[in-house]
Amino acid sequence: MDTLKYILRNVSRNKLRSVLTILSIGFSLALMTVLIGYTAMQSVWKEEASQHHRIVVMNTQGFSGEVPISYVDRIRGMGGVNSAVPYSWFGGTYKDEEQMPFAQFGTDPQHVFEVWSEFRIAPAELDAWQDNRRGCVADRRLANRKGWKLGEQIPLKGTFFPVTLDLELVGVFDSPKDTDSLWFDWQYLDEILRASSAPTAGNAGTIFAKVAAPALMPKICQEIDDRFGSSDNPTRTQTEAAFAQMFTDMLGNIQDYIRNIGMAVVFSLSLVAGNTMAMSVRERTTEIAVLKAIGFPRTRVVGLILGESCGIALVGGCLGVVAGCASLELLHQLSRQFFPISVLELAGPWLLLLLAISAGIGVLSGMVPAFRAGQLSIVDGLRRVI
Amino acid sequence: MPDVTRAEGDPIISVRNVFKEFRREQMAIPVLNGINLSLFTGDYLALMGPSGSGKSTLLNLIAGLDRPTTGEIVVCGTNLGRSSEGELARWRSRNVGFIFQLYNLMPVLTAYENVELPLTLTHLKRKERDEHVRAALEVVGLTDRMNHYPRQLSGGQEQRVSIARAIVSDPRIIVADEPTGDLDAQSGTEILELMKRLNAEFDKTIIMVTHDPRAADEAKSILHLEKGQLVENPARNR
Ligand SMILES: Nc1ncnc2c1ncn2[C@@H]1O[C@H](COP(=O)(O)OP(=O)(O)O)[C@@H](O)[C@H]1O
Ligand SMILES: [Mg+2]
Repeated sequence: MDTLKYILRNVSRNKLRSVLTILSIGFSLALMTVLIGYTAMQSVWKEEASQHHRIVVMNTQGFSGEVPISYVDRIRGMGGVNSAVPYSWFGGTYKDEEQMPFAQFGTDPQHVFEVWSEFRIAPAELDAWQDNRRGCVADRRLANRKGWKLGEQIPLKGTFFPVTLDLELVGVFDSPKDTDSLWFDWQYLDEILRASSAPTAGNAGTIFAKVAAPALMPKICQEIDDRFGSSDNPTRTQTEAAFAQMFTDMLGNIQDYIRNIGMAVVFSLSLVAGNTMAMSVRERTTEIAVLKAIGFPRTRVVGLILGESCGIALVGGCLGVVAGCASLELLHQLSRQFFPISVLELAGPWLLLLLAISAGIGVLSGMVPAFRAGQLSIVDGLRRVI
Repeated sequence: MPDVTRAEGDPIISVRNVFKEFRREQMAIPVLNGINLSLFTGDYLALMGPSGSGKSTLLNLIAGLDRPTTGEIVVCGTNLGRSSEGELARWRSRNVGFIFQLYNLMPVLTAYENVELPLTLTHLKRKERDEHVRAALEVVGLTDRMNHYPRQLSGGQEQRVSIARAIVSDPRIIVADEPTGDLDAQSGTEILELMKRLNAEFDKTIIMVTHDPRAADEAKSILHLEKGQLVENPARNR
């Protein structure tokens, strides 16, 4: 029988109490895992977005404003700009699946692979797309998940646009990260909109442009905004990284808020766990006095109790982190648009930090009872019986 | 001076002019008033006296659980009053076996594990430990119950496990504070016989606190605590 076994026996002495403590620590650590994991994902996303020196043009009004399609050619013609395409979000539903099962964008088949130059597509498939107004291409991983073959008919029923697109899959592209996206010809959408004389016709939505060198980005953003500043549709141009950040910022304050609440929960949890630990140690006063009487040194007694509280906290922490990671992965599986990165890629030192936090809960909650047990006078402890 | 005679060499337990008082909020409660006592290897002393007379206090001092207010206690060659807490802990683990009235076994450990507990403080290898534990359980006749938890044992069996725990690290001294106080007559007799064997067969020096004159008669000598002093014959008769 060694120390670890003895600690384990002590943990299982009051199973319900231990299980409840473990569960409460597990829950709060799961919450922390999701929050921190989400933040980590945002920064990976941003990092990724800053590598390819792309810029995003949108109306100063945000997504509700228009960016005329004519801007695309004018931006593409500017010095330092490699290429530019319209990039119009189409939130359609596929067959009778749940809302927006994947991301869909209307863009320009002639130039889109110049802007996303890191993406790969077979030349024959790109040709096929450029020759077929109803054609579309999809991220290979999306196509695989859906079981699509080339020639697949993909009807998309607009939720934002009052139209239905009858698309045909003519190609798949490979991207470094799962984009969960389908691209179709912007002009196909625009033709249908014009035919129904919808007021949104002729709107590029946003424009993505690829700049020759990273150093040029601020200057070109400024140039674009200056050029269209006095038009009916003034623009706001920013780097792709800043654009990604925008989505984060929408949650920004909430995120801080939730993280603070998370910390508060962890702290108050330590107090509750500490109280539980103190109770269970107090019930054992005589036993502790006996341990000391038969020669257990103070350090060993303190270690037994800290080991117990840390063990409980770490088991809870591990369960919590695993549950949190599972939740993140589930969110990724359900919505690759908003959780584009699998937790497997996100795993990093922050997971260790979370385990350290749970160890911290263990130390914090075991500190006072361990100290008291260390201080306990043997004679006083035994007098309960002697 | 009520020294137990039969002196041969240095006493294993030597208590010299010991006073002990407890402090509770300014109030000093004197408990022991000048105790002198010498015991030699193989002695078996029964300590009697009315409740609250300081029997446990004296036993605790001799076992190195507490320090005297004044006076000197030397046990197994160690001056207990001059030792640090850590030194005393190590000293106890090597020299003293404890038997309590309420057995005080760890409820989460089996009989075997309870007996093994003091050995976890030693550097013995697993196999050696196992031999010691089995030997101790053999002495108390409980090898067939070694995987039982305390709650699965009778009071007498629990006390036998606690005796095994007390002797497993082969200490020279055994202190027992009312070891039969919570047992029925039959079990009590068994425990007393066991203690007698430890004394006779294994040459353990034993001090046993007891209320029970029949138990005290099993010891080789009897002393009474009265008004903080040791006497051979109590003023008030039993
Ligand atoms: N740790 C202590 N703190 C205060 N008073 C104590 C303590 N231990 C013993 N006493 C007091 O000392 C006296 C003797 O106690 P004790 O040695 O336990 O007696 P006995 O074992 O003979 O019944 C009692 O009056 C008791 O209240
Ligand atoms: Mg007593």
